Amino acid sequence: MTPAILEGVRVVEVGSQVSAPFCARLLADYGADVIKVEPPGEGDEARRQGPFVGDDPHPDKSIPFLYLNTNKRGITLDLSVATGQSILGRLLEGADVLVENLPPAQSQALAQPLGMTSGSQRDIRGNIRTGLIVTSITPFGQSGPYRDLAATDIVTCAMSGLMYHSGDSDREPLRNALSQSLYVAGINAAVATLVALFQRLTTGKGQHVDVSVMECMATHLVQAVPYYNYMGAIKGRRSVRGSGIEELMPARDGYVVPSVQGSQPWSVFADLIGEEGLQDPRFASGAGRIEHGEELKALLEKGLAKWDRKPLFQASGERRLVFGMAQDAGDLVDCPHLAAREFFVNVDHPVAGSGKYPGPGPNLSGYDFQISRPAPLLGQHNSEIFCGELGYSSLDLVQLRAGGII
Amino acid sequence: MNDAPLTGIRVADLSRVFAMPYAGAYLADMGAEVIKIDTHHSQFVDTTRTLNGPYPDNEPGDLFWERGGTFQTLNRGKRSLTLDLRAPEALGVLKDLLRVSDIFLENFTPRVLARFGLDYASVKQVRPDLIMVSNTGYGHNGPYSNFGAMATALEPTHGTGAFTGYLEPDARDPNVHGSLVPGTVPNKIANSYTDFLASWSAQLAILACLLYRARTGRGAWIDLAMYQVGASFMGEGLLDYAFNGRRTRRIGNRHESFSPHGCYPCRGDDEWVVLAVRNDSEWQAFCQALERPELARDPRFADPVTRHQNQDALDEMIRTWTSDLDQYQVMEELQSRGIPSGPVLNARGLLADPHLRARGLFESVEHSPETKLGRQEYLSRGWNLSDSDVHIRGEAPRLGEANDYVLGDVLGLNPAEIEDLRTKGVIGERLLGGGTPSTVPLARQEELGWIVRQEPDYQRD
Repeated sequence: MTPAILEGVRVVEVGSQVSAPFCARLLADYGADVIKVEPPGEGDEARRQGPFVGDDPHPDKSIPFLYLNTNKRGITLDLSVATGQSILGRLLEGADVLVENLPPAQSQALAQPLGMTSGSQRDIRGNIRTGLIVTSITPFGQSGPYRDLAATDIVTCAMSGLMYHSGDSDREPLRNALSQSLYVAGINAAVATLVALFQRLTTGKGQHVDVSVMECMATHLVQAVPYYNYMGAIKGRRSVRGSGIEELMPARDGYVVPSVQGSQPWSVFADLIGEEGLQDPRFASGAGRIEHGEELKALLEKGLAKWDRKPLFQASGERRLVFGMAQDAGDLVDCPHLAAREFFVNVDHPVAGSGKYPGPGPNLSGYDFQISRPAPLLGQHNSEIFCGELGYSSLDLVQLRAGGII
Repeated sequence: MNDAPLTGIRVADLSRVFAMPYAGAYLADMGAEVIKIDTHHSQFVDTTRTLNGPYPDNEPGDLFWERGGTFQTLNRGKRSLTLDLRAPEALGVLKDLLRVSDIFLENFTPRVLARFGLDYASVKQVRPDLIMVSNTGYGHNGPYSNFGAMATALEPTHGTGAFTGYLEPDARDPNVHGSLVPGTVPNKIANSYTDFLASWSAQLAILACLLYRARTGRGAWIDLAMYQVGASFMGEGLLDYAFNGRRTRRIGNRHESFSPHGCYPCRGDDEWVVLAVRNDSEWQAFCQALERPELARDPRFADPVTRHQNQDALDEMIRTWTSDLDQYQVMEELQSRGIPSGPVLNARGLLADPHLRARGLFESVEHSPETKLGRQEYLSRGWNLSDSDVHIRGEAPRLGEANDYVLGDVLGLNPAEIEDLRTKGVIGERLLGGGTPSTVPLARQEELGWIVRQEPDYQRD
């Protein structure tokens, strides 16, 4: 049995919705011991966000919550009161990482647990005594004029610049679906947290990791930014006037992306589609395809109308062309390739039931990805952690519960 | 002075194009010595050196392979060793380099990797605790494993198109099979989105494996399939199908529960603002911002359910309001009342934005005189560490600039041996073969819709 990659790393998550929970989930997936702290009563806001299993708006049936919180243990703690804060402080004494996404203005909740006298989150420098790493994820980061502004995913997508480049050139910019900016920030936060953990091996010191959702997403613009800096040119959304190559084009049962990337000559492409007009040498060069774009698009549409998505995708791969196809969730969940990669993992949840969960990004040699715990019920591990690990008695627990602390 | 986190870590970066080179650039920012395994034979060179540009004022220039802005962003702070991998000596040099490296990045297809004898089983013999990343379209096993891939075609393949697309008036049923119902067209996320998901996923795996190696002494092979990584970012959507059988959900810029929620035109050409009203109290404040107090009492918009039902009417009123305002004005009006809102920024907007200036998102690089690039600014990272030295270390390496350093200082070849490799054409410092890339004039690019416009006065001081 290979040890877990991040065995021995303990993470406390004070997170809601997507960004901090996704960051902590990624660390948990690599084997870190993650304890999720939720407010008593209501829990993580994601519990109230749909879609829900069976469209039943039950707090243990939120699909985003179920997805984002596997492999974690869950406790409840009211961080708005001093007792809750001091219990968090005790929990952090045994932790390596705190991941949180509280608005900067609410950060005083963390001041006492972190051993700080003032409440300004900007001043967090980790807890040097214990070597704690504090990772804070917010829409705009811990400094700068937008620090305290309100944002949801569409706002950070827009302000990152990515949204300007998404959609069609003759329509409004289009949001990147499924809260992508929050996921991208979550994984960047996980990277930066591990950088800090790695450095701690030599320095013994913790530090503060300041993650800005807007900026994480902005770092995708490796073409648009130099286009402006180098030439004053503003790149925009995909032109609807092109040849259709590298774009989503209708086939018989859905959309495909015909591509000429790769090293194969045009004739291989034209042969595959099977539309005779495509053999015209005017289309054989990139410049020719640009020049005769509209004509090419019409021929492509004609040829593609004879193909279904999957046979075309298969045939293109076999000819070393790099076509794509628009797949929906059903295509992916039932995909034989992802099955061969053991991407999906069956997880049984006491309330939501059993389901096929998406698994790891990369596969690691000799290391079996596992989802050993479903997302926790609210306060599911209170006695395990408060009594079993922090030394509270079961009577203490009764009092804390009566006081609304847990 | 703080230390760089990856001081003393050496990376052999044989990767090409976007995803892994960008991961290598971040490792360089963190202080690793990243050696880009380049080649001076144009048919094998990293295409970002020759095809992507952009070049200053759209002029490739004599040393065009050093001058692409995207290449510079993706390869900043690295060193360059050129090797013609067709030569047996080159593979020997590469293995010698792997012997003294900690991390190996590559993105060949499995077929090509095996042909070079660089598969994990082989390189592990050379360096048992090596951390190797193999980045491919589909991974090293499974029925698609030998298919090539580019992010722009991969993106809808891993499902983004099922969840990204304009909301069409005749396609409101979220349960319809989304492939070819009239009016429901999948769309893409900009800029080869999957490349970046792969880059972040690789960085995370590498850092996790560095910690693992420090604890156990063991290396690892990271088999990164971009298709699978992309799917891992669609998790909520895939789980919705697993539980509820819903295949697709394309609702444009609207939101499942917030309304109004969307993207609206502002004064000017192609200027937009987004906003999200999350609850009734924000709705009340929103009506104040619009100076339409009567809307706050309008039963069509009294609660989230009715607002959701009457979004077309809401959108129309909001468009009327935003069209006369500057995008930052809308943001200020709404943010001052606690309502999420912000401009849709383009690259110019990002570069000028006061918040990003204050945060230092763009880092400045002084280029070597030969490149005639002067001083330029590049995107850095979306995160800051309070007590570590992480920054862009310098420009992308000139072709083969580290040949003598790597072959001599790192691998111990003597000057005669290095010169012999140069004579044989195994290494070289000028690009051979292939002409100067042809660039499309900016006016023509505008006509084709590749760019929105060009601003001749773009150069600030």
